[in-house]
Amino acid sequence: MNSFVKAAGVGFISLGIWSSTALAQDSWWKTAAQPYQGATIRGISESTPASKYVEQVLGPKFTEETGIKVEFEATSWDQMYDKAIKDMEANTGIYDFVYIEQDIVYTYLARNFLVDITKSLADNAKIASPDFKPENFTTFVNYFKDPKSGNVMGVPMEAFIKPYLYRKDLFDDPAIQKAYKDATGADLKPATTHDEYTQIAKFFTEYGADKELWGTTVQASSSHPAAFYEFFESVAPTFGVYNWGIDGTTFAATEANGGQMNSAAAKKALNYWVGLLKYAPPESTSSTWDEVAGTFSAGRAAQGLVYGENAAWIATDESKSTVVGKVGVALPPVEAGVMEAVASGKGYIGYYDGGAFGIPHSSKNKDASLLFLQYIGQASVQTDWALAGSRIVMNSTYDDPKIVDQDKKMNGYYTLMRDDGKLFAGAPPFPFHSQVLQVVAPFIYKAIVGEIQPDDALDQAATAAEAELVKLGYRK
Amino acid sequence: MRQSNIGWLFLTPATLILFVVGFIPFIYILYVGFFDWNTNAVDPTLRWAGLQNYRNLVFDTTFLNSLARTLVFAFFVVVSELLLGYVLARALMADRLWGRQFFRTIHTLPIVVAPIAVGATWRLLCVPGFGIVPYYLKLWFGIDYNISTNAYHAFGTAIIMDLWHWTPFVTLSLMAGLTALPKEPLEQAQIDGGNKLQIFWYVIVPMLKPVLLTTVFIRLMDALRSVDEIWMLTKGGPAEATRFIGLHIWINVFPKTDYGYGAAMSLLTLYVTIVLSWLLFVAMTGRKGGAQ
Repeated sequence: MNSFVKAAGVGFISLGIWSSTALAQDSWWKTAAQPYQGATIRGISESTPASKYVEQVLGPKFTEETGIKVEFEATSWDQMYDKAIKDMEANTGIYDFVYIEQDIVYTYLARNFLVDITKSLADNAKIASPDFKPENFTTFVNYFKDPKSGNVMGVPMEAFIKPYLYRKDLFDDPAIQKAYKDATGADLKPATTHDEYTQIAKFFTEYGADKELWGTTVQASSSHPAAFYEFFESVAPTFGVYNWGIDGTTFAATEANGGQMNSAAAKKALNYWVGLLKYAPPESTSSTWDEVAGTFSAGRAAQGLVYGENAAWIATDESKSTVVGKVGVALPPVEAGVMEAVASGKGYIGYYDGGAFGIPHSSKNKDASLLFLQYIGQASVQTDWALAGSRIVMNSTYDDPKIVDQDKKMNGYYTLMRDDGKLFAGAPPFPFHSQVLQVVAPFIYKAIVGEIQPDDALDQAATAAEAELVKLGYRK
Repeated sequence: MRQSNIGWLFLTPATLILFVVGFIPFIYILYVGFFDWNTNAVDPTLRWAGLQNYRNLVFDTTFLNSLARTLVFAFFVVVSELLLGYVLARALMADRLWGRQFFRTIHTLPIVVAPIAVGATWRLLCVPGFGIVPYYLKLWFGIDYNISTNAYHAFGTAIIMDLWHWTPFVTLSLMAGLTALPKEPLEQAQIDGGNKLQIFWYVIVPMLKPVLLTTVFIRLMDALRSVDEIWMLTKGGPAEATRFIGLHIWINVFPKTDYGYGAAMSLLTLYVTIVLSWLLFVAMTGRKGGAQ
């Protein structure tokens, strides 16, 4: 009896502690959000799997807990920038939080578009959640810190590398392996050099002539910046050309002035990349990142560089992908000597992509938005979000059993990201990102459609980029 | 005098709105066009440039090519829509046509579709690798139709898309004009022995001139500022094959944030449009101004 009373007592006390803790946790958001009850915050983002999770899951959950309504607009990449930048330029205050892609953050910082999250939370401790800890994020958060103050200006919401995906089922098929050996004299395995990659692409294009299968994807839209990005951020670095070939101190682009945009390595890279179009499906010249993922998931390519945001659904979602369980992941092929240079800290082999949510200075609901950004920055929401969008922004997420399980299904994409993520890098810290892109991209488009030769395209692009940088006042 | 005052009173709201949404932005663009202004420059403020932006435009081959491309596009679509629209108008007015009302309704549907949706639909139809148009052109005729690599295919598709979208508007306008024509001059011409071509050229066309003029002006100005449909269909590509002037200006003003140069481009394009419209007016009416 005595032991029963003791056990019951301990049980009640435990229940009491558990329930009071739970209530306290529940009530923190409610208490903090009390002054903003009934408010509506509006956000805009590119329509990605990670963004859709915010729209469909995190937004409604936050509303349920706080009473603050979240209106979220997941739209195309172009529209997202167009709308967000116009809103911030005109100070209209339509959006309370906006997607900041890693490559545009320097422009936003230079133009003072963003609210300082660290400072705002320090100034208003009542809305500073104890569960929001910037130090929990991976080093990716550093891209969203003000270089001067070190303060956080954006809460990371997605991060991924752009790996080399290949069709494991095809690469492991003994009959195909034999055919490859007979045709090339080499063993069929994921490419580590550009020559190997081209050889594999050529082989599978011939092999798949009557199977709607081609050798590679190429993100080579002949009129969309996606082509510029694939070349300068994913291909050129594997040839040792970094930061778009622009010198970060003199802002020179031409080789004559110390830049690399039209260097021999850059020209070799563009010739290689444009040459791959022979082994790519016909949609490649109109493919952005979305179409590349669509091509791979439809089983139309044997290999390709595919943005990591699409890796999870391609590898695991049978409702969207025809290659579930057939996807292998590896590092992109590189030119000889590049991996050694990268290991010594002199470059990178691909794009570390992602973005954060930030609060525009023009927002009319800054405090409510700060609450929302902290809500999505909690460790507790990260795992399911990662499962839905193959994005990881916190170190602890890698070790979650659900993620470990998904990693196995994805043939080690997360392991690759954790172990080799350091070999990848975000976009260069150029505040003139969009301006140079718009000037250079048309030359890449012309090379894609064969209007000019790749060598000429880069010569003209480098000259035009320098002229633009002079006009903008960066290059003297 | 009193009547005149009442007239002005009724006109005031429209005048005020036009002043706010038309005249003020025009003056602002005129002002900005004299400056070098890019908010992503080292110096993001407005810097006086005088006529430099306009001088640069004269030597800017991308701008000039874009303008020329737009004029060619406008010529093709306006002429084709007039011819097709007339034929369709006559066909839909024919008493012998069974199900005339039904065809009229069906034929008019494209007008109510938003340009952005038209562009998206045509892109889905024509996208290489997946679209049904390239698929069947290859299957039936062996044609490798590809709007993302072949400039002529992209340009031609842009024209056909515009014809599909706007010919019904021309048809409706001409049907209204044809229906309102008096019968007597036509009967008189027949009695005088005029053949069909002569009656069309010497009687119908002169009487239709006001309708033709209005329709041509509306379509010309629309064609010169095509953006949404083209953006969805080709994004101005392949390379710059369908980068019409509206799209070119948009790229300069928004993604490039080159406001001064973009403003100068806009004004020069407006000037070209006005001159073109005036020339057309003179050619069609024989008058040099004072439209009545």
